[in-house]
Amino acid sequence: MDVKYINPFIEAVDSVFTTMLSVEPKRAQIRVGATQPAGQLLTSLVGISGQVSGVVALRFPPTTALKLAGRLLGSEPTEVNEEVIDAISELANMVAGNAKAKFNHDPPLQLGMPTVVEGTGYRLKYPSGSIWLEVPFTSEAGDFSMEVTYNPE
Amino acid sequence: MRALVVDDSMTIRRIVIKALGIVGISDATEAGDGVEAIAALEGGTEFDVILLDWNMPKMNGIDTLKAVRRSGNKTPVIMVTTEAEKSRVIEAIKAGANDYLIKPFSPDQLAAKVRTVVPAAAAG
Repeated sequence: MDVKYINPFIEAVDSVFTTMLSVEPKRAQIRVGATQPAGQLLTSLVGISGQVSGVVALRFPPTTALKLAGRLLGSEPTEVNEEVIDAISELANMVAGNAKAKFNHDPPLQLGMPTVVEGTGYRLKYPSGSIWLEVPFTSEAGDFSMEVTYNPE
Repeated sequence: MRALVVDDSMTIRRIVIKALGIVGISDATEAGDGVEAIAALEGGTEFDVILLDWNMPKMNGIDTLKAVRRSGNKTPVIMVTTEAEKSRVIEAIKAGANDYLIKPFSPDQLAAKVRTVVPAAAAG
């Protein structure tokens, strides 16, 4: 994945988080390759298909997911429940949708339904030797990261 | 005034319903997909506005919109969706949408769209 393709996704995170959550995420250095974090994580994934293919994944420690869900829903859940899963699913959906529009393909790229994975120490994979780019973010709601693989050919 | 809020995300439905309060709409019916939306409309309830997502399971928003218009229902429809490409907007307007709101959105942006298609909605 060429680094130039990551910018629409970063802009999408900024747009979604500032508009929907009143959170201004600050991004750290982009890393090449999906990491394998040690702690518990909730990963919200959305597939992109059409003339190009890819996956957008937002990865949240549970504490961050609870805070973000609280901002969206108006009150912070005390545990990772259906509401939290729905909230982080929609965040990934909006980031993927916002980014795909910036590529402006005709016909438009299509988004899959969001999927959330919960667990510890897992790494994301995608077929055909795809390269992942990881963008870590910090925010007042907690740290999170975005991992993207995007295959323009 | 009554709204039909159609989105497979309960989070978005809740955000939309809260924003509708800005324009004085406190009565909202929720539907998680197009099938539920059609059932709500066929149930005889009259709505002042429909807020309609695009990507949903069972029946997506554009097919729902076309079915609503085919049935002769003229209730104002605002698409509320991540589908932001110009061709999508044109497709929805041609199918009978009255307005189009791209996610992410602020509550005030949604309220302004509702005021545009439902003049009777409170000025806030």
